[in-house]
Amino acid sequence: MHDYASVNPCTWCDGCGDYGIWTAARRALVELQIAPWQVLLCYDVGCHGNMSDKIGGYRFHGLHGRVIPLAAGAALANPTIPVIAFGGDGASFSEGVGHLVHAVRSNYRMTFILHNNANYGLTTGQASALTWQDQKMNTSPNGIPETTLNSMDFVFSLKPTFVARGFGGDIAQMTKIFTAAIRHRGFAYVDMLQACPSYNKFATHEWLLEHCYDVHAEGHDPKDFEKARSLAVDTSQRVATGILYQTEDVPAFHERLKPRQGVTTTPVEEVKIVDTTQWLKTYM
Amino acid sequence: MTRLAIKIVGAQGQGVNSVGEMCAKGLKRSGYCVFGYREYMSLIKGGHSSYQLDISAEDVRSSAVYVDIVVTFNHHGLEKNLRDLKQGGILLHQTPQWKFKNPDDQAFVTEQGIRVIELPTDAILQKLKAKPILGNVLITAAVWSLLGQPEEQLHELVREQFGHKKDLLDLNFACIAEGFAACKVIAPGITLSLPKSDPKWKDHLLLTGSQAMGLGIIHAGCRLYAGYPMTPSSPLLTFIADMQNKTGMVVKQAEDEITAAQMMVGAMHMGTRAVTATSGGGFDLMTETLSLTGVAEIPAVFILAQRPGPGTGLPTWTAQGDLLLVVGSGHGEFPRLVMAVSEARDCYDLLPEAFNYAEEFQIPVIVLTDKQTAEALFTQPAFDQASAKLKRGRLVTDPKELAQLQSADRYDPAASDGVSKRWLPGSAAATYCAQGYEHTPDGSFDETSENAQAQMAKRLKKMEALKAALPEPLYTGPKNPEILIVSWGSNRGVILDVLESDQCKKRSIGYLHYQYLWPLKTEVFEMLSRTARRTIFVECNHGGQLSSLLKLASGRDVTQKILKFDGRPFFYEELRGRIFEALSPLTPAPSPRGRGA
Repeated sequence: MHDYASVNPCTWCDGCGDYGIWTAARRALVELQIAPWQVLLCYDVGCHGNMSDKIGGYRFHGLHGRVIPLAAGAALANPTIPVIAFGGDGASFSEGVGHLVHAVRSNYRMTFILHNNANYGLTTGQASALTWQDQKMNTSPNGIPETTLNSMDFVFSLKPTFVARGFGGDIAQMTKIFTAAIRHRGFAYVDMLQACPSYNKFATHEWLLEHCYDVHAEGHDPKDFEKARSLAVDTSQRVATGILYQTEDVPAFHERLKPRQGVTTTPVEEVKIVDTTQWLKTYM
Repeated sequence: MTRLAIKIVGAQGQGVNSVGEMCAKGLKRSGYCVFGYREYMSLIKGGHSSYQLDISAEDVRSSAVYVDIVVTFNHHGLEKNLRDLKQGGILLHQTPQWKFKNPDDQAFVTEQGIRVIELPTDAILQKLKAKPILGNVLITAAVWSLLGQPEEQLHELVREQFGHKKDLLDLNFACIAEGFAACKVIAPGITLSLPKSDPKWKDHLLLTGSQAMGLGIIHAGCRLYAGYPMTPSSPLLTFIADMQNKTGMVVKQAEDEITAAQMMVGAMHMGTRAVTATSGGGFDLMTETLSLTGVAEIPAVFILAQRPGPGTGLPTWTAQGDLLLVVGSGHGEFPRLVMAVSEARDCYDLLPEAFNYAEEFQIPVIVLTDKQTAEALFTQPAFDQASAKLKRGRLVTDPKELAQLQSADRYDPAASDGVSKRWLPGSAAATYCAQGYEHTPDGSFDETSENAQAQMAKRLKKMEALKAALPEPLYTGPKNPEILIVSWGSNRGVILDVLESDQCKKRSIGYLHYQYLWPLKTEVFEMLSRTARRTIFVECNHGGQLSSLLKLASGRDVTQKILKFDGRPFFYEELRGRIFEALSPLTPAPSPRGRGA
């Protein structure tokens, strides 16, 4: 843990779920024996993005809504370096939702950790696509007129290869999920439900504590796609957490690129001036 | 200098491009310089498109307004393109029993001595039991015969294309024979004599600007290309994608331009060379990413293939209307390099430079091209493979040096030229945050006044160092020209052709061509412009954008502008006429759109 320490003090609100995710992320990296110089952590813009200078490792703090393609580009350039992207539910299900769709179907080798507090925290509590109905929010004094997006139903409809859900209060379970996600062959979607004591008055820490349960304790088989989907989608009584679904049978994007098959170097190692004479005959 | 032109017209999908390309290749192999120019509409089938070849035994880099032969696939071309012909020109068509309905057209044909020739394509194809697609070979053969070129050369071309299919090859040969035979009947004694050929052209390459740029990207060591289809940048994406099995490059057709730009940035940060290319509105979508690369000091290369805007504008036409956009795009102030290619050679030679500047200065580089350069066909000497060098600036890769790095070296404001050390994820070294927020030297958040000033000053110092490192604009002409022409991008070819014309050769006219457009070098411009009697800017936009930038950078505002903003490039006689118009009353102008070369 010491290797991933930062001299910068955290700036999140007391009771913020980001603390737990931050701790579990560092733990998972240490457990996997990944040194800070061996990883790239990419951050979206939102409260979670304030982690970018509170942790060791190579980091990239980019634009709001765009962390997935940024991380995907990095992962394609060097598939030997684990790439982890962190984003909030505001960015990921509104401005950047298109990227999520295509990242799942592309199955890039990367981990995406969703800091899911069901609102835009850093801009002071506006509703996101995941905010519940009838919640008074900043700019939605009457609650949202839109329907709430069922994020799990949406993600499962995209045929993901790894879906997990955790809760910001359970560091042990989150660590387990992160280690599995980082090791995953393709795109790992990790939904981390977290409290936002300042703006989320519905899915509070206490509510999450009460409703979340570990599916593995109840014998769930993460190979069962349909079962995983139904467990994930239905949150009316309880909220299923743990590794809900995983398949390693689907190759990652870079493995599916025909020109890269059998190539032992990474694009990072291949940068050199190339003599193109061999390809010019066709223009003579 | 003698130059001739052939214009092939028809509906899109009829074979205009294949005939154009086949003729171009054959002519180059016969020892001619060929310049190809396409016009087409934003649709797949139908419309009216053209492929014009300008041909000479000397350098030809532009299209003429008036042509020697019009070849038309359908009856529309007979009317629409009749007046593209020079006096005595040949109108080759394949519409049985054609009669001009408009008496003016018939009068034009008579007065100008236009020779209207009908090729009985359908009858010949029926006789040979050949599919309509073979009509392309037939019509090429007729053109070949009119140009007095040998039949065998066409055999060679079709053998290359269909050599693996014996039946098809024989049918192609039969079409060629019939085309030549038909011309003896329909056009007895009619030939268009080409100037004496020059064998030097045979070793040249014949390729589009997009192909040359794709090869330039490969040459530069770029290993990842992310793009989203948009004309006229799409041919580049197609080229790179078609080459991937040979190059091993990672090619991603992204879900949008934002993704393409972000992937390029992520890949560049990881340490490979990556690029994205787009046009018009696609670039607008990339500009937030452009700004991010400015603050996070990530090397980045954006290619913008210009077309006329605003909005969707004229998607398949050309323009130089985005220069001010790229100089000012992206919020906030940050250093950047804007450069422009003008022809196949630039497309190849300047791409390694774009990546080198991006890495040496850790800045975004925007490479401007346009539809004209992207889709024109150039006759180009074999590319220079030896000159390009891989320059990666202050990239640290040596293990000993890496071990000594501190996180705060990444954005160290003490660097005298503003360029601090950069090292890649996966390097055994102190780590840092590539940060989109204003940051301390190690990439931590810092909103203090002192830090904000220090980091902004650090980044913008790079602009001065970059300006000093850039080469001067290219000057062609006498030492103290009476008339100075200033331009950039695809206008270069037509300007050089005009300056080499008989009418201009004797005049004291110089041409200053800008490849690097921001930051701008102004010394040579100021020196030449101060002593010239006239300074004339030539640009394909409404505002004279380079002239505005040079005014901003040099303070000099004593210029004339020749501008065009209708989606078409400047044509040869047109530009020559407009230059003479601009020179009056300095000189009596010859007929501005005089016919013939």
